[in-house]
Amino acid sequence: MGPLVRSLIRNRKAVVGLIIIALIVLIALAAPLLTEYNPASRVGRPHQPPSADHWLGTTRIGQDVFSRLIHGARTSLAVGFGAGLLITVLGTALGIIAGYRGGKTDEVISFFTNMVLVVPNLPLLLVLAAFIGQASPLVIAIILGFTSWAWGARVTRAETLSVKHKDFIKSAEMMGEPRWRIMTFEIFPNLISIVGINFIGSVIFAIITEATLEFLGLGDPKTVSWGMMLYNAQKASALSVGAWWDILTPCFALAILGIGLSLLNFAVDEIANPRLRTGNRLSRWTALIRSGEGRL
Amino acid sequence: MTKPLLSIKNLTIDYIGETADFRAVDDVSFDVAHGEVFGLAGESGCGKSTIAFAISRLHKPPALIRNGQILLEGRDVLGLDPRELRSFRWREVAMVFQSAMNSLNPVLRVEAQFYDVLRTHQGMNRSQARERTAEMLRLVDIPPDRMRDYPHQFSGGMRQRIVIAICLALNPKIVVMDEPTTALDVVVQREILQRINELRKTFGFSVLFITHDLGLMVQFCDRIGIMLAGKLVEQNSAGNIYTKPQHDYTRKLWASFPSLHGARLMEVAAS
Amino acid sequence: MVFLLRRLGFYLAAFIAAATINFFLPRLMPGDPIEIMFSSAGAELSIENLAALKLTFGFVDGPLWQQYLTYLQSIFTGDLGRSIKYFPLPVTSVLGHALIWTVGLMGTATIVSFTLGTFLGILAAWRRGSIFDVVVSVGAIFATSVPAVVTSLIVLFFFGFTLGWFPTGYAADPALDPSFSLTYIGSLLYHGILPMLTLCTVLTGGFAVTMRNNMINLLGEDYIVMARAKGLSDSRVMLWYAARNALLPTVSSLAIAIGTVLGGSLVTEVVYNYPGLGNILYQAILARDYPVIQGQLLIMTVAMLVANFIVDVSYVLLDPRLRGA
Repeated sequence: MGPLVRSLIRNRKAVVGLIIIALIVLIALAAPLLTEYNPASRVGRPHQPPSADHWLGTTRIGQDVFSRLIHGARTSLAVGFGAGLLITVLGTALGIIAGYRGGKTDEVISFFTNMVLVVPNLPLLLVLAAFIGQASPLVIAIILGFTSWAWGARVTRAETLSVKHKDFIKSAEMMGEPRWRIMTFEIFPNLISIVGINFIGSVIFAIITEATLEFLGLGDPKTVSWGMMLYNAQKASALSVGAWWDILTPCFALAILGIGLSLLNFAVDEIANPRLRTGNRLSRWTALIRSGEGRL
Repeated sequence: MTKPLLSIKNLTIDYIGETADFRAVDDVSFDVAHGEVFGLAGESGCGKSTIAFAISRLHKPPALIRNGQILLEGRDVLGLDPRELRSFRWREVAMVFQSAMNSLNPVLRVEAQFYDVLRTHQGMNRSQARERTAEMLRLVDIPPDRMRDYPHQFSGGMRQRIVIAICLALNPKIVVMDEPTTALDVVVQREILQRINELRKTFGFSVLFITHDLGLMVQFCDRIGIMLAGKLVEQNSAGNIYTKPQHDYTRKLWASFPSLHGARLMEVAAS
Repeated sequence: MVFLLRRLGFYLAAFIAAATINFFLPRLMPGDPIEIMFSSAGAELSIENLAALKLTFGFVDGPLWQQYLTYLQSIFTGDLGRSIKYFPLPVTSVLGHALIWTVGLMGTATIVSFTLGTFLGILAAWRRGSIFDVVVSVGAIFATSVPAVVTSLIVLFFFGFTLGWFPTGYAADPALDPSFSLTYIGSLLYHGILPMLTLCTVLTGGFAVTMRNNMINLLGEDYIVMARAKGLSDSRVMLWYAARNALLPTVSSLAIAIGTVLGGSLVTEVVYNYPGLGNILYQAILARDYPVIQGQLLIMTVAMLVANFIVDVSYVLLDPRLRGA
């Protein structure tokens, strides 16, 4: 893990991404300390613009937008990381098993993976959520986890295939190590960067999709989350009546969290794939050319 | 001695790192005469391919030419502007690259890969280019009617012969061959080298031949330079490199060859 | 050909899988599936109409497999039942009408953003490390990581409400009658600008990054170096050697991206009150109009499969190595 952490710290995108995520996590954890308002109850007059009392104004029914924002961060983060973890675990396990075992097992898993990939995800989620009724964040996280692993499984399988024929795997097989041990302790550690990319990507996907499902009216009205904030604001026609704070607050929150996670994702991608890196080398090279110390 | 065709003087090339640089070529100088086959030998990573790339100025960052001169018939290659450089490439210096399988663009027909050279450099139209392509393919024993095929439809050896045919399409003065046969099996390897030798006698181009296979090189080259860690440690005629190696490293390279190979080489050198 | 036929077989299986989900979902929910499916209609549904609907969805007296076959039969004969909200309109005509709008919006946005993104990616990779590359890469990070809902709302807020440059809803001026007149088509384009802008913002970055990374991975290939050594012009090497080959993995990733396009399109339609599938679906969700919600999954799946097939065919056309095989 040492070198990975060191390369992350040296990568500017990773550092900015990590700071953004850390700030949001801190604010979410400290939410009750940062505001005295209950996010769910009516604490002011409807649709008040931002003021000293209500930093980000109030909603149509007089809830405090700031309080809903920082409490809602908890939901977005919990669903994002929970579903992201589930998606990654399923995708990684299926991908490694398919790639390593090969044969019939691979055929079956690959067939299902490809099938899940061509059934459009959001419409499928909409049907599932519609039958469940008003889906709580937990339910949303679970159905996301069970429907969205296919991309990760496909990528992990491809990567497993390339690791499988390496010498250290062959020697572990010769020594009679059981298959599950080879998969967990020999193959998995070599896929760590692809698993990392899959995890961060899945967290982004889960956060976006949770917000989308709730925005489309499939969430539980009692939930305090960024998606429900969007839904309520849109239902209250916040933009038409000029209550921009009501709708733009969750918008920017989602955007900033998404950007933070994406920066981290791109950074991990660059570290895993050295060809994509530009960074210091290139700027040193350019400087040397400019100062006439060499040419091409 | 007459003026050399290609003259490399004090060439020094670095690969720029994040903090420190790696010196790939260190103060290398050698000449290649008209019609001569000059070999550069050494282990992989010793800088021989870096020199090959520098002659056509194919390097990209992070490579950096720190010092030195490359002269072709007295013309300063490193001083060419982009336009001059484009017309210099292939017309004067053609190249055969390491991997026979990957040198041709997989999505273009063979014909098109001749055509873009012929159009760019000689302004030929399609039918003129087709005629020239057929002529060149015949030289390397590829049936001209296969010019409409794609690279994947040819074997590795055939692909390498196609590359050689493309190389000769403009009658270049020198052909740089960077491990041209490593990806091929031994029989095909010999075939190709013999073919190149015949063509060289017909057209009179020089060859800069790069390989790690010293045995192959002694059979094929007039003169040989031995490279070690970016430096040219020895430079001599092929016979002398074989019979009277001067540098320790050259002797070590020979010692690493199996004796059977060595015995056969002895005959070659003697003849 | 064999390749394409096998793909077609696979698509049929995927379609049946989507239908199977539709069939089992109401039956897996706690409670009476018929009650779940049609309760939102209240007393408006006559006995005969209800019986017809039950038949369509396979609620017949008989074992499960018989119910399943009945349902598959109605789907393959093009009967998706009737909408409850828009009763007695059949689901196919409710969705079919909306589909035209969605395909128009989504198709145009996909073509525009794929072309634009691919070109940006090509140039960024070619001028690796330049200001242009940095702007494209960082811009792409921003654009792809922001949910489509958020992008649509922000675009709508600035260009629609604050600046008031563009209309804030509908596909065309509701006062105009649809016709092939200049006024109507002009109004269509005028109303389409913001949704298009949103979708292109959401999609272009992803295509650009994919193309850029595929290009960079190829730039070290021998045939690219040889093309440069041949003295070809930069644009020839960039487009016909590098980009032409990098396009192959980019096109195959397009197949997966279509799902995202579809999702983004649905959401954008809701925000802009655009009369496509997304909006119909939104109304259907609010009214718990299950036949329509189920029908959209099938129609979306078909749309996705058709798009995938187009990608397959273009892949075969682009890669000579697949053609003969």
